[in-house]
Amino acid sequence: MATDRLVERRRVFQQYKEDVKERGKPFYPFAMFHDTLMSVVVVCVITGLAIVWKYTTPGNHHTTAAGWLGKLYDAPADPGTINFVPRPDWYFYFLFYLLRIFKWPESVLLGTIGVPTICLILLLAIPFIDLRTERRLSKRPVAIVASALVIASMGILTYKGATAKEALGTELLGQVPHWAQKQGFQGNQQAIAGAKLFAVSGCLNCHTYLGVGGHNLGAPELTAEGAKHKGIAFQVSHLKCPACVNSGSPMPSFAGLGDQRLTQIATFLEASKGPK
Amino acid sequence: MATRRLTRSEQLQQTILYPVDWLEERSGLVGGIRYFLFRKVPGDINWFQTLGSATLTAFIVQALTGSILAMYYKPSATIDPHTHQPIAYDSIQRITNELWAGWLVRGMHRWGASVFIILMFMHMGRVFLFGAYKYPRELNWIVGVLLLAMGLGEGFTGYLLPWDQTSYWATVVGININGTAPFLGPFLAQFLQGGTHINTDTLSRFYAIHMLLIPGAIAALIGLHLYLVVRLGVTSPPWSKEAAGTGPLVPAEQNGHRAGLTRFAERRSSR
Repeated sequence: MATDRLVERRRVFQQYKEDVKERGKPFYPFAMFHDTLMSVVVVCVITGLAIVWKYTTPGNHHTTAAGWLGKLYDAPADPGTINFVPRPDWYFYFLFYLLRIFKWPESVLLGTIGVPTICLILLLAIPFIDLRTERRLSKRPVAIVASALVIASMGILTYKGATAKEALGTELLGQVPHWAQKQGFQGNQQAIAGAKLFAVSGCLNCHTYLGVGGHNLGAPELTAEGAKHKGIAFQVSHLKCPACVNSGSPMPSFAGLGDQRLTQIATFLEASKGPK
Repeated sequence: MATRRLTRSEQLQQTILYPVDWLEERSGLVGGIRYFLFRKVPGDINWFQTLGSATLTAFIVQALTGSILAMYYKPSATIDPHTHQPIAYDSIQRITNELWAGWLVRGMHRWGASVFIILMFMHMGRVFLFGAYKYPRELNWIVGVLLLAMGLGEGFTGYLLPWDQTSYWATVVGININGTAPFLGPFLAQFLQGGTHINTDTLSRFYAIHMLLIPGAIAALIGLHLYLVVRLGVTSPPWSKEAAGTGPLVPAEQNGHRAGLTRFAERRSSR
């Protein structure tokens, strides 16, 4: 059976070679003309994008303000920063958003490593899964459905990743009195200072707290973090090196904030026992 | 008959052809190029089949603009004592704002990356829908998937180079995600960072990977990809009635069409 198939595949390809030799047309100039024209279009599009990027940037172009195609550059990298948005280039949005679907810690590995690896293996395996010689789309329903699903899911994930709302530190700062009241730590100055740091340090780009936050990378809900009684020392060491404490955690280190501020954030987390 | 003296035009022709003949005799390259240009392709290949060469063009744009950027970019996260900014970030600002047409070269590299990746996906979609990955082209499909993965790797490593907030924090999270992989993950993360956290060593490491390691591999794989295309031939569109992409041979003159330039002349008359 398998050998029959192989004989048939070889026969079809032999037929193809003979037909092309007999009745095909030379690459130059026919196909080459199309290729060249298409290449000119590609170069023009790239140049056009570069021009739009530059000339829609407001002001004298020497700014970090965004034009139609985004900023020319952001502020310089600062490892000790207290406000950042981890955002990949747009063609990674589908991966970025995929991570929101999975929950820490049980299945986040599926989102970060599992699904992309499976997709890559499937992609490599396609020619060994589909062994028929049939190439007409009307006779390949599985291929049509599979490609439609892939295009739709990649499109939706990219769109969702692009429109995902980022919580801005300055807006979140206004929430702190509300949090203090809900959680009942109004009198605790350390916890309030920690809450302010928590609001502006980008924590809510991934975590959620009392209904706000990004829900990215499978980061857990922190509203009732204090109810777990992990202790301030644990929280500080976790903030310094998340992966050392929780093996496999994709959370970045916040050691740059310094011990004093980390203790404030830890106090705030421990004071968050869930809304009263 | 005595050997005739060469006319002036024949002498001129010989002079011009001499280097070509010299090259051909020693390398066979001229014959190779002739084979490449005049090899037969199916009669009704489609506009969608230009996506591969369009992707190659985008890669060439990346290689050229990247080489120019490399002449001015400095991969160092050390703070410049005069500007109080990281040196890499300074050099990006200089390229964008001071260098003549620097903004254009950087813009073309930045957006060329997006175009390159879109074209790779579109080219792959075309190959899939045309069933062009089937026997005997399985190996070329695998090479293509590897090229796609490497292209995405270029996107990931290049994103860090401006050393601004966006690129820095995206890379922190990206490396952390790499680190979560079982077994190899932590080693991979440490290798990428060149240490336990992201610093100036990470930047030069990403720079080396971005402009030497991966582009070298991509160029080599593109060579293999094209070799296999030429060796195995271009697939005819799946709707072709015959493998060569045209109907049975009918002299074009019988159609009342000029031979060659009218693409569908032969096929129409045959049905």
